[in-house]
Amino acid sequence: MKAFELVLPASLEQALAELPEPARGRETARESVKLLAGGQDLLGELKEHLVEPERVVDLKRIPGLERIEPAPDGSIGIGALATVAALGEDAAVARGFAVLREAALSVASPQIRNVGTVGGNLCQRPRCWYYRHEKALCLKKGGSECFAHGGLNKYNAILGGGPSYIVHPSDLAPALVALGAEVTLRGKGGERTLALERFFTLPSEGSVLRENVLASDEILTRVKLPAPPAGGWRSTYVKFKERGSYDFALASVALALSMQGDTIREARLCLGGVAPIPWRVSAAEAALAGRKIDAEAARAAGEAALKGAEPLQHNAYKIPLAKALVAKALLALAKA
Amino acid sequence: MSGRGAEGLAGALGAATGRLQDGDQPPRPPKPGKKWVKTTKVVDGHEREEWIEVDAAGGPSWPERSAMRVLHQRLPRVDGPEKVTGAARYPHDVRLPGMLFARLLLCPHPCAKVELDLEAARKLRGVHAVRSLRPSDLPADEDWITRYLGQPVAAVAAETPELAEDALRAIAARFDERPFAVTREQALAPNAPQVRSDGNLGRRNERGDREAAEKALAAADRVIEATYVLPVQHHLCLEPHGLVADYRGGEEATVYASTQGTFAVHGEVPRHLGLQAGQVTTLVPHMGGGFGSKFGPGVEGVTACELARELKRPVHLLLARADEFLTAGNRSGCVQTVRAGATKDGKLAALIATIDRLGGIGGGSHAGLPYIYTCGASFSEIRSVHTNTDGSRAFRAPGHPQASFAMESVMDELACAIGMDRLAFRLANLGDDVWKRQLERVAREIGWEGHRHKAGPDLSDAPVKEGIGFGVSTWGGGGRPECEVEVRIARDGGVSVFSGSQDLGTGTRTYVAAIVAEEFGLALGDVTARIGSSAYGRANGSGGSTTAASLAPAVKDAAHKAREALLERLAPELGVRPDQLALADGRITGGGVNIGWKEACARLGADGITTHGTWQAELAGNGVHGALAARVQVDTLTGEIAVVKMVCVQDCGLALNVLAAESQINGGMIQAMSYGLFEERVIDPDLGLMLNANLDDYKIAGCREMPEMLPLIDEEDRRGVIGLGEPPAIAGHGAIANAIHNACGVRLREMPMTADKLLMGLEALRAGARGAREGAGGRG
Repeated sequence: MKAFELVLPASLEQALAELPEPARGRETARESVKLLAGGQDLLGELKEHLVEPERVVDLKRIPGLERIEPAPDGSIGIGALATVAALGEDAAVARGFAVLREAALSVASPQIRNVGTVGGNLCQRPRCWYYRHEKALCLKKGGSECFAHGGLNKYNAILGGGPSYIVHPSDLAPALVALGAEVTLRGKGGERTLALERFFTLPSEGSVLRENVLASDEILTRVKLPAPPAGGWRSTYVKFKERGSYDFALASVALALSMQGDTIREARLCLGGVAPIPWRVSAAEAALAGRKIDAEAARAAGEAALKGAEPLQHNAYKIPLAKALVAKALLALAKA
Repeated sequence: MSGRGAEGLAGALGAATGRLQDGDQPPRPPKPGKKWVKTTKVVDGHEREEWIEVDAAGGPSWPERSAMRVLHQRLPRVDGPEKVTGAARYPHDVRLPGMLFARLLLCPHPCAKVELDLEAARKLRGVHAVRSLRPSDLPADEDWITRYLGQPVAAVAAETPELAEDALRAIAARFDERPFAVTREQALAPNAPQVRSDGNLGRRNERGDREAAEKALAAADRVIEATYVLPVQHHLCLEPHGLVADYRGGEEATVYASTQGTFAVHGEVPRHLGLQAGQVTTLVPHMGGGFGSKFGPGVEGVTACELARELKRPVHLLLARADEFLTAGNRSGCVQTVRAGATKDGKLAALIATIDRLGGIGGGSHAGLPYIYTCGASFSEIRSVHTNTDGSRAFRAPGHPQASFAMESVMDELACAIGMDRLAFRLANLGDDVWKRQLERVAREIGWEGHRHKAGPDLSDAPVKEGIGFGVSTWGGGGRPECEVEVRIARDGGVSVFSGSQDLGTGTRTYVAAIVAEEFGLALGDVTARIGSSAYGRANGSGGSTTAASLAPAVKDAAHKAREALLERLAPELGVRPDQLALADGRITGGGVNIGWKEACARLGADGITTHGTWQAELAGNGVHGALAARVQVDTLTGEIAVVKMVCVQDCGLALNVLAAESQINGGMIQAMSYGLFEERVIDPDLGLMLNANLDDYKIAGCREMPEMLPLIDEEDRRGVIGLGEPPAIAGHGAIANAIHNACGVRLREMPMTADKLLMGLEALRAGARGAREGAGGRG
């Protein structure tokens, strides 16, 4: 990796002081400052020379950011430095938010979960093998072409793609979006809180160089899980990995249901691994509301969830796969 | 770099499956007192069958298996604790005072004109050498054009690995890209760029009688035609290729090599250090995997030696992980198109095949079709199609896994076509009873008898379906007179055995000690095996599963001689005849004598006993079979393929260490499963870049993918020692393909067999069924 200055701030204020002003509208692929948390993505990027920052700001000495704090109202505050493993093992998360626990435990390997953080997981860069190859100057790296679009795109997007066809690699993101989580971004002048769903950006919306709205002078500090609805969530995360031992999702489904007796009062459904952002599908949610959990509802939800999918040359399989995962997720929630 | 062509050529030799052909006779009558035996010869890891002349009689023999106390038992490896605790020092772990770390710069394009400016890199602090790898025989006024993606073009040596990487990036390299071919289609296209000076089509040969095969095919009751496509597989040695050259000036050097051939490296490195063989010691204390790809020093080893010679400092050059994918060899891919026919009563009548080996700039390997099964008439045309990618190397049973996948698929497709039980169809077409009994055994163990749907897929509505598939294999695994072994007994009772042979990870160190312990009636821990050094007796490289069958007889011979020498020395002192004495349980007894081993050895002179052993044909065998069955679960909704159970039975003569032999069988099954389900080199055909030169995107099976594995040693084989590293890796992926078809009706003819292919196959199957229904409705 290229040499850089390592800064070890002891507070958020000190960390923010190290960050550059945003170059609004003039973003380049080369960022001069990078934030370091668990480093499970950043170190790979540094070693592969995908990023060559002049300064790396290590957030790990900032106290308190690793906490997972349940509140009396049933909501949970999750510090950005909480590890994925801690999230997966947290009792309050396990009690009220099974989908998040399952998503956390599906991430990579135990070693990576022990070090990787919630904030880092949400901000991780794409895994597209063109993006990850230093010599392929693709759209995401400031080039002019998405090589996946007409290339070897087995792992790429079937929904929301264009002009870049990456898929968002996070497992936590679909689960958190399904649960209606909010995210807090701290800047020099204060902080802003927004729905996590609004945090992620399609390549056609924001800068194609980025996957979210985090500005260069902001730090993602906290995720808040709102209190579950009356009666609680019945939820699950179903992830399909090509290699079960250790892999990103070919497709995944985060599903949370609020039940009234055996009728679905409200459904929240978000797909992972199929689009450049966690892909929440309100049509599928609407298709489930007011129904009982059965094979027909599962089929209808799958159809609705994949409506509008436009496969590339090598990834049409993701359509039947994602439909099957939606059905599996729903049927898995048949029993309380 | 000239070695690559030779490796490619060796691939062609690897196609030999001589033992399968009848009528093969020794070259001439034996000399008096001699006889001919057929055994295995290995060239660059590719096996070849050969007749050799050996003594007709005499020499030691193995005891009855039931009488063995150390051998043929389940012995944990003597170096196991060292390895699992991290105490074992591999070449990559070597750190020496003043040592420099070297790296190679690889050409990032499949074909390019190269110009290097090394000055900026040379100026970096901590960088001691930067050198171009431009071939020395290339005239100065001629352009330097690289031939494959990842070809090394420069080398650096620096004080830390990080500085070495900085130096690589500081080399101002200008790569003027040239047109290239990285796929078979690109290489075969009209006006394709010329990959090698001799063209894009390499060695071509034909086998069989075309006319007779066509006639037999026309007469067959059922005919299938299909194309089977296998990707390039990588060896993925845990320890990368390379070595540490410890030279600090003067006339001595030590080389720590990660190799499967101590003497293959030793034969080459001295001249690159500017020394003679006797001035260099090559050590292979432990090594982290080779699978056929680590014989000679390679460009990385040669460069390390040349840098050490230039700098007079130890140099550490082991490839980076990405380099391993680009310039350390691979298993050649292949495209096989087969037409085959069967008779209604279950005979394989005809087979006609065209086979393209895809070995990059190398030749690739293929064991030939038909593979193992007896066929009425056959004809095949084999050729190499060259691309601008790294040359293939030997890889665990070179050519056989490729041939097996096509052959077992063909057998399955034909069985389905004539509506016959796939096991019965195989049994009806095997010419050797050993395969039959082995197939019947794995069928029993996998539960074929109670399997509901033998002839076709599971047609029930259950989303998760199970299927069973089979396969057979063959290999040589014989030994040769290539090893010299020394055994020493010291006056303090210490016993040591010396061989230059390396332990490829197969447990060599353990069985070398065990053979001596058995001979002396001692425990395994009483014997020290000293191996992996060019200072000890010569030994062959670990290729073609020939190590055990070459080395074990020489160890036994040396131990046997030491035992005789010991008893002859002791008997007069003890007042008995040597033949009255027996060695067992750490004691020497007989003729009224009963003394402990140490007490007896104390009677030796200070010089103890030293003996030397050589290969004894009677202690080894050659030529094995093997059968495998796999049970697979397929989720027809998600396309998930889970291998539930694999059973493999293997004959190997005398299994010296049952635990290690089973481990070899397990390892073979795992490697074949991983090959079948996950592994594939991916190169973008337009950009000419390898997209998965890392262990995230080049997927191999992990712990969760492991099925229940049942490794079985065929104890009906009463021959001497035969190697078994390779045959268990041959048939697994073909058996899995057939099990998938047996489960759900989708025939996957292209590897790796991943969920996307299965899902699309299932969609096509459903569309076909709909089409058939609608078609029938339309006519009605």
